[in-house]
Amino acid sequence: MSTLPHITVCDATLRDGSHAYSHQITLDQVRAYATASEAAGFSFLEVGHGNGLGASSLQVGESLVPEGEMLRAAKACLKNTKLSVHVIPGFATIKREIVNALENGVELFRIGCHCTEADVSQRHISYVRSAGHEAWGVLMMSHMAPADVLLEESKKMQSYGAQGIVLMDSAGAYFPKDVTEKIGLLAEKLEVPVGFHAHDNLGLSIANSLAALEAGAKIIDGTAKGFGAGAGNAPLELLAAVLKQRGYKNSLDLYKALDVAALATKLFAGSLPDSNDITIVSGLAGVFSGFAKPVQRAAKQLGVDPRDIFFELGRRQVVGGQEDLILEVADELARRTSTNPNFYPIS
Amino acid sequence: MSRAIELVHTDAEAVIGDRIGSLSALRDQHLFISGGTGFLGTWLLELIKVLNEKHDFGVKVTVFSRSARAFANRLPHLGLEKWASFQEGDIRYISELPRDVRYVIHAAALTDRRLFASQPGAVAETNGLGTLRLLRASHLLEDLKKIVILSSGLVYGTQPWDRERIDENFVGPLRCDDVNSVYAESKRFAEIIAQCAISESKLPVVTLRPFAFVGPYQSLQLPWAVTDFIRDSLNGGPIRIMGDGTTVRSIMYAADFAFWVLVALANGRPRETYNVGSPEPIDLGSLAQLITQHFTPVPEIHTGLGQTGHDRNRLVPSVNRAKNELGLEVTFSLSDAIQRTIAWNQYSQSL
Amino acid sequence: MSFKKTGVAILGTGNIGTDLLIKVMRSPFLECVLFAGRNLSSPGMTKASLLSVPVSAKGLQGIIDHKDEISLVFDATSAEDHFKHAPIFEELGIKAVDLTPAKVGRMCVPAVNLGECLDLPNVNMITCGGQASIPLAYAISKANPDVEYIETVSSIASRSAGPATRINLDEYLQTTEKGLQFFGACERTKAILNLNPAQPCVHMQTTVMAKIANPDIEKTREIVATMVSQIREYVPGYQLLLEPIVESGRLITMVRVDGLGDYLPKYAGNLDIINCAAIAYAEACARRAK
Repeated sequence: MSTLPHITVCDATLRDGSHAYSHQITLDQVRAYATASEAAGFSFLEVGHGNGLGASSLQVGESLVPEGEMLRAAKACLKNTKLSVHVIPGFATIKREIVNALENGVELFRIGCHCTEADVSQRHISYVRSAGHEAWGVLMMSHMAPADVLLEESKKMQSYGAQGIVLMDSAGAYFPKDVTEKIGLLAEKLEVPVGFHAHDNLGLSIANSLAALEAGAKIIDGTAKGFGAGAGNAPLELLAAVLKQRGYKNSLDLYKALDVAALATKLFAGSLPDSNDITIVSGLAGVFSGFAKPVQRAAKQLGVDPRDIFFELGRRQVVGGQEDLILEVADELARRTSTNPNFYPIS
Repeated sequence: MSRAIELVHTDAEAVIGDRIGSLSALRDQHLFISGGTGFLGTWLLELIKVLNEKHDFGVKVTVFSRSARAFANRLPHLGLEKWASFQEGDIRYISELPRDVRYVIHAAALTDRRLFASQPGAVAETNGLGTLRLLRASHLLEDLKKIVILSSGLVYGTQPWDRERIDENFVGPLRCDDVNSVYAESKRFAEIIAQCAISESKLPVVTLRPFAFVGPYQSLQLPWAVTDFIRDSLNGGPIRIMGDGTTVRSIMYAADFAFWVLVALANGRPRETYNVGSPEPIDLGSLAQLITQHFTPVPEIHTGLGQTGHDRNRLVPSVNRAKNELGLEVTFSLSDAIQRTIAWNQYSQSL
Repeated sequence: MSFKKTGVAILGTGNIGTDLLIKVMRSPFLECVLFAGRNLSSPGMTKASLLSVPVSAKGLQGIIDHKDEISLVFDATSAEDHFKHAPIFEELGIKAVDLTPAKVGRMCVPAVNLGECLDLPNVNMITCGGQASIPLAYAISKANPDVEYIETVSSIASRSAGPATRINLDEYLQTTEKGLQFFGACERTKAILNLNPAQPCVHMQTTVMAKIANPDIEKTREIVATMVSQIREYVPGYQLLLEPIVESGRLITMVRVDGLGDYLPKYAGNLDIINCAAIAYAEACARRAK
């Protein structure tokens, strides 16, 4: 047991949770949670819009609080826990967002892109590194590419200067054996530490996170009470328990890490993710978990089954950021099923 | 000639047999074959003819080659088929493929050993640049499903004598400061170009590394052991082996070769590399005997004619990956392959 | 009925330049008198040679050498190069249609401001997403005086985004946002780009969303419909997928752009639309010069 590595635990509650809260997280909630995260000893706290810097938009939802204010509020509560952000090129630019985030005290930039498009991250990773800060590469929707493709894309990011690579199971579609294969290959072949970010759409977030650790991951993502998109993430309180029981070294204070669950329950009452038919179908169809709320809205407006929307989006292999297609798909489904009594054409 | 055509047709039907299921992805597709009038290309067309005529596959083929028109005249039973169109050109300057092509086989290359010696620069240019240009042109296709590129078993360099078979992960030594490496190095360059296209543009490329083959349509003028032996036997012998006859090869029949290429095109996993050839080793002495037994009087076999000190060598693939992943098997035994090849050459000569 | 076509040159023999060449050759008003680049063995050069178009591997010098035959040049090189080329074209009296993100000249969207661009020495074609979204933003702002915010999202096939697009995503977003500001008469704008690797390749889709206090949806639909039919005159594959609607407090409309499949594949509507716009502008200039 003593040979097990030290695990870096990333707290994504104030970023992934933004999806579960329709991006309406307040400054008070940020401060209260950031303080608890610091006390629990998480290595990093990720803050911001669910789709990262510069993503507040009509496309994926507008944030209640401007990201600069959120970052400053969080930063003021952190000492040992480092402030991190998610960055998706195509949403965020260097000049507009990354420069500001640096000024607001962000210490780690996790530059993400669809899992086959690593080359769009080159400029952003290089910029952060040359500014003297830490940058990781994040491959999103990583269930959509085989292990060898993920390795190739990770190596691109590594060559741009990424100091860590995280595979995100953005759709909650992985099974443990997929994790073992993909994380195992990356852990074996990359020089930089490898991480895994789970979603619970198929009820496997903890099983998959454990599979990642056993396959050699040194970074693990979670959120308090699973507060995140779709059916939520791997709950931090359970990750803390698993790490302790399996003997992985980490920086957590166990009791305080367990306490974040109660705090999240209090702070985000009524919005904690739960597993339901929609989130399960999202996982089955392999569609980005963050689509759950807009899909439900569109389904209601157009009188179609949200599960049909998910399966059709899955068939079209949509990627994160293509939320505008939800309406088009719902509209098309509504036209197809003209016998639908709720059919109300929108155009 | 008709008996020769009949023989090939029979073998094409036999190799496909009841395995058309493994080719179903190719139904109603447009295939582009570069180097489509060579040994392999001709056999691919023979198999596709069977698929279209007997199994109603509806495959369309565009054959690209330097000698497309001459081919169509020489082999009208393939050249005049409605499903085949012929495009004449130089692979080094190819810039576009027909828009509805979904499957590409890149078989164009300079493979004549005599050219390796006399025009090594042209070998490097055609095999390297040709691959680069073909992949760039493929990039413009609307709905590209698969590209198969034909590399070579020679990219492995020298197979150690005590290693029975080489698998796809084997890496042997090759010298880039020796002009005799030009063919192997040109194929290695072609492979790395394909890997670049896979990484940069996600092109669905499958790499095949063919070993040694025999069969109808193979020129007997190429100085390979098996073709030399057959040619010399047809001429009454003797067969002359420079070494002691212990050098080891493995030889696959052309119909199997073409079938394997088509199955790799249909079902090969993009980014993957597969050996193609027979896994059964045979030494040159035994090979010579296998050939001479078909002739009366039996031609003599002379061995040990060369300088001593030339090491015996070995080139035999492991084809377990093709077997396990693609379900491929060898249909024609080597002795059948030899018998069919000799018969075809006799029919063709008697014309 | 015979008249002399306007002589044009194309500088840059990559995919964009080669696709432009095919479009110029089909034009009743334009004639390609020079296809110039650096690499004589590039696929574009090979194609041009096969089409018997005069080619030059001397790049800009090729244009200078043939200046008397050339009235207009399409610059399909790079922003860096266009900064150097622009003053030289102006000195030579050759009108420049800039397909790079250099933004030396006025931004031109033919369906919106063709007329005011005809006399300019240099026009910029903005971005592919800009050519698709700006006319919609313009139509929305015509129908609704109080647009608070405009946003556009484009999804394109990964394979249609070459290395230059990928490395310059930030510039794409900034340029598109500037175009939306300028033509949409709106201070706050945002552009988003998604690359989708799905096979078969997805066709370009562009959505425009706006925040408007009291949107006049009927009037918006009317003006958008007129705008779409105007664009279709020079971009045949431009089609309305979703008529303007209001959903969750957003006014939304969506188009799809199928390419013509001239040199580039049909799915690359993003590359086709910017070329179609460039041709529409050049043809308008040629018609006027007659």
